[in-house]
Amino acid sequence: MLVPITVLLPVTAAVWIAAFGPGRRAAAVVSIAVTVATCMGCAVLAAVATFAPPSSIELTELVPPIGLVLRVDALGALFGLTVSLLYVPATLHAVGWLGNGPRRCAFLAVFLFCLGAMLLVAYAANLVTLLVGYELFSLVSVLLIIHRRTRRAFRAGFKYLVYVIPGGALALVGTVIVFFVADSVVFTPGGLTAMGQDDATLRLAWACLMFGFGVKAALFPLHGWVPDAHPAAPPPFSAILSGVMVATGVFAIVRVLYEIFGPVRLEALAVMPWLAVPAAIGVVVAGLLAVGEDELKRRLAYSTISQVGYATLAISLLEPGALTGALVHLANHAFIKGGLFFAVGAVAVHAGVHRVSELRGMGRRMPVTATLMTLLALALIGLPPLSGFIGKWLLVSGALQAGSGSALVVLLIGSVLAALYLWPVMRETWTPPPKPAPERCERRDGMLLAALLTGALVVLFGLGAALTGFPLALAGRAARLLAGGD
Amino acid sequence: MGAELFDLRPALAPLVSAVCAGLVMLVGYRPGWRAALAIAAAVLKFGIVWSMLPGALAGTVYAISFGEILPGLALAFRVDALGLFFALVSSTLWVAATVYALAYMRGHPGQQRFFGFFSLCVSTTVGIAFAENLLTLFVFYELLTVCTYPLLMHDGGLKARRAGRRYLVYTLTGGALILAGMLMIWHLAGTLSLADTGILGGIDDPVALATIFVLLAVGFGVKAAIMPLHAWLPAAMVAPVPVSALLHAVAVVKAGAFGLLRLIYNVFGVDLMRELGYADVLGAIAAATIVLASVIALRQHKLKALLAWSTISQLSYIVLAACLLTPAAALAAIIHLANQAFAKITLFFAAGAIERGTGATRIDELDGIGYRLPMVMVAFTIASLSFIGVPLLAGFITKWYLSLGALEAGAGFYVWVMAVSTLLNAAYWLPILYRAWFRRPGRYGTTARPVSLLMRVPTLICALYVVILGIGAEAPAMPFALAESAVRFAFGMLGVAP
Repeated sequence: MLVPITVLLPVTAAVWIAAFGPGRRAAAVVSIAVTVATCMGCAVLAAVATFAPPSSIELTELVPPIGLVLRVDALGALFGLTVSLLYVPATLHAVGWLGNGPRRCAFLAVFLFCLGAMLLVAYAANLVTLLVGYELFSLVSVLLIIHRRTRRAFRAGFKYLVYVIPGGALALVGTVIVFFVADSVVFTPGGLTAMGQDDATLRLAWACLMFGFGVKAALFPLHGWVPDAHPAAPPPFSAILSGVMVATGVFAIVRVLYEIFGPVRLEALAVMPWLAVPAAIGVVVAGLLAVGEDELKRRLAYSTISQVGYATLAISLLEPGALTGALVHLANHAFIKGGLFFAVGAVAVHAGVHRVSELRGMGRRMPVTATLMTLLALALIGLPPLSGFIGKWLLVSGALQAGSGSALVVLLIGSVLAALYLWPVMRETWTPPPKPAPERCERRDGMLLAALLTGALVVLFGLGAALTGFPLALAGRAARLLAGGD
Repeated sequence: MGAELFDLRPALAPLVSAVCAGLVMLVGYRPGWRAALAIAAAVLKFGIVWSMLPGALAGTVYAISFGEILPGLALAFRVDALGLFFALVSSTLWVAATVYALAYMRGHPGQQRFFGFFSLCVSTTVGIAFAENLLTLFVFYELLTVCTYPLLMHDGGLKARRAGRRYLVYTLTGGALILAGMLMIWHLAGTLSLADTGILGGIDDPVALATIFVLLAVGFGVKAAIMPLHAWLPAAMVAPVPVSALLHAVAVVKAGAFGLLRLIYNVFGVDLMRELGYADVLGAIAAATIVLASVIALRQHKLKALLAWSTISQLSYIVLAACLLTPAAALAAIIHLANQAFAKITLFFAAGAIERGTGATRIDELDGIGYRLPMVMVAFTIASLSFIGVPLLAGFITKWYLSLGALEAGAGFYVWVMAVSTLLNAAYWLPILYRAWFRRPGRYGTTARPVSLLMRVPTLICALYVVILGIGAEAPAMPFALAESAVRFAFGMLGVAP
């Protein structure tokens, strides 16, 4: 019973906030309490999933014989925990960022609803349930992108919809084809067994699903909405967008590849290069674009496309070691990138700085934030012992295990580019300010606290990577399960 | 299939509202009596129709016959799963529509006539739903045309009269074609019964079969607004809003679609249709209608005109699904009778409330209207998202089964038609939602007058039902199981899940 409660708790809170429009303090307390409670629920589910085999629970028969079914396996537990854990600092940041601003309740309600919908994706036991959650948060999150109601925000929101609605339609087409050929959409490690022999139909279904979910995963060349949506959205939502929403697309791709088609059939269909090559191109192209981008949030958005491209590339190798690496990398990237957006958001609000070239002297003006930003940037580059290193290490060794030299080269190029696009950020931050020095403008508020929390998590996940219940253990178990082990 | 049971209720259901309609005509000059009688007609019929649901789910078929009016031809009612499903939808919506109409028409002239014919309409609709044979169906089908005509030109203006004339020309021609087709069937097959899965099995004259199909398909297709037989529907927008709701959601177009379902599943039967291949042609026309009508809807400036074109597009979902001749598609066809009805009536109620409250009729006058009429616009939002096919709303269910049915039928092309229709629907509904919720209120948004609760509550209830249809289709008291049993009957799969 814990699973549906965990999923429905944020949705219920969202409905309550939307319907009653509580005051500033009440809305803040409720939304923080709910995210913390949800996160605890997800932690318990993750602990259970580490040891026990998954059991499913049906909410309703949506399109008989397929129902809305929830189930917690290691993969879902890892993703659910990542999402809900990032939501705790994100909600803190949101409360701080919103302050007394307009449409507070609307923002928090939609924000919490997205948490519920993403958990539905994480704990979905079949493709239709996943699709429902996916479509819901895809469509609803446009409200967060246009929250500021500026011309730029509306334009970004429109662009986002132009990508997401056809993506959703294609994902539905793919799902219907899967159900038609296999008579089932239940996620089964190793792939659905009875899938017909018609390769053309299977390839079509695969392509539809990859297009559909690739839009969210910012897969090249479907990434066009990402660099526009991030700067337009409020910083707490940029963090969620980069940290976990993009990862949701990759998560759905993992589910489809490993639990609908199955590695064996995919090898036979010979379709994986069609995923690997765009992902590799994305890693390099987005990295290059990030190097040349001056606006901080856009630079980080391009970085997200590049970093998530690593994971997609590794997943497309269909090798358990690389899959483990991809999952760990996604989890760690969520906190690193989320934290960077928290820090950048604080800088934008308190210092009014939006561009890399304006960062000069930030080390003096906002020392704690600047330190955190540097720490997180180093983690993203992959400096040990921070958490980003773990994922990179596993990715590289996974590529070696799979014997894919080209993937290895792409990963290394991506890492070099990451250093190139993050180095100017650090350099400018710590360059002394021009005289007369501007005043210090750091404030101890929710935004700083959010950045501090994620910074702590990044260090913790780096130092204690091998502990039980941490991303690595869960990802390893998930990869074993997906490959058909224990 | 369970026992066939003699029961008064199939006749009682149309009768109560007919009697109430008569009483409205007699004593309806008093507003209190008029309202009470109109409500009574709707509620009584609602109760009677729903009371047959448990029995029908258990497999009982209620029937009653009034003796032969021609040798071998009886005026008879028979409540099978498909008919009861249609009757449930229309009688449920009728309650909402009546309450809404009472509030909407307050202060209009000629209310006595209006509510009299309004009640008669639903009486005839239930008659169509419960008709045991084609003749009974035809009688009520023509009566429906006659009863809607005075409602359509209620305003009495030149435009209304012209629209009414066009409506009559179209539907009476359609009726004549149905009559001709019916006579041919009677002549060739010797029966007009709708109780079986196909009565034309014994005929092996391809020309005669083709003629029958064309006559009946065109005849019913007029009311189902398949292109190019649709022109009366956008013109009929001059009618008062409750009448538009009646035309678009509850009775008229649904009667056409229901007639097509009867034609395909009960007159020809699935097997014969597969053999003949006529359904492919009709399906292609329906698919073209889905896309074309949506494209035209994109170019509309008036809210009601947009709703009309959307109706034409959505009705062809039903026709296309029926033409695919697979169980999943048939399920889509039947449940879309309900899904389209609830969503569309919500939109019409909302359009009427907006017109009442602010005087806005054009789409570009809707800026910021969401904050003036929040309850109404929430309902509008839910219904329009359902048409786009957002999961957990009714439209998603239709889209799922229709796509699945298209694949089963080996017609994968129609899956793409569904996908394109999704995009087109998004392209004309989302701009309205954007205007309503994100633009600064314009002139029309600021001059809002209060809209009666009697208009707002039915709107919201219908929208909630769209959600319920989308989430809990399998819940015990829902007619979804009825649709399934209708499909099982039509495809001869007793005891098998579709």
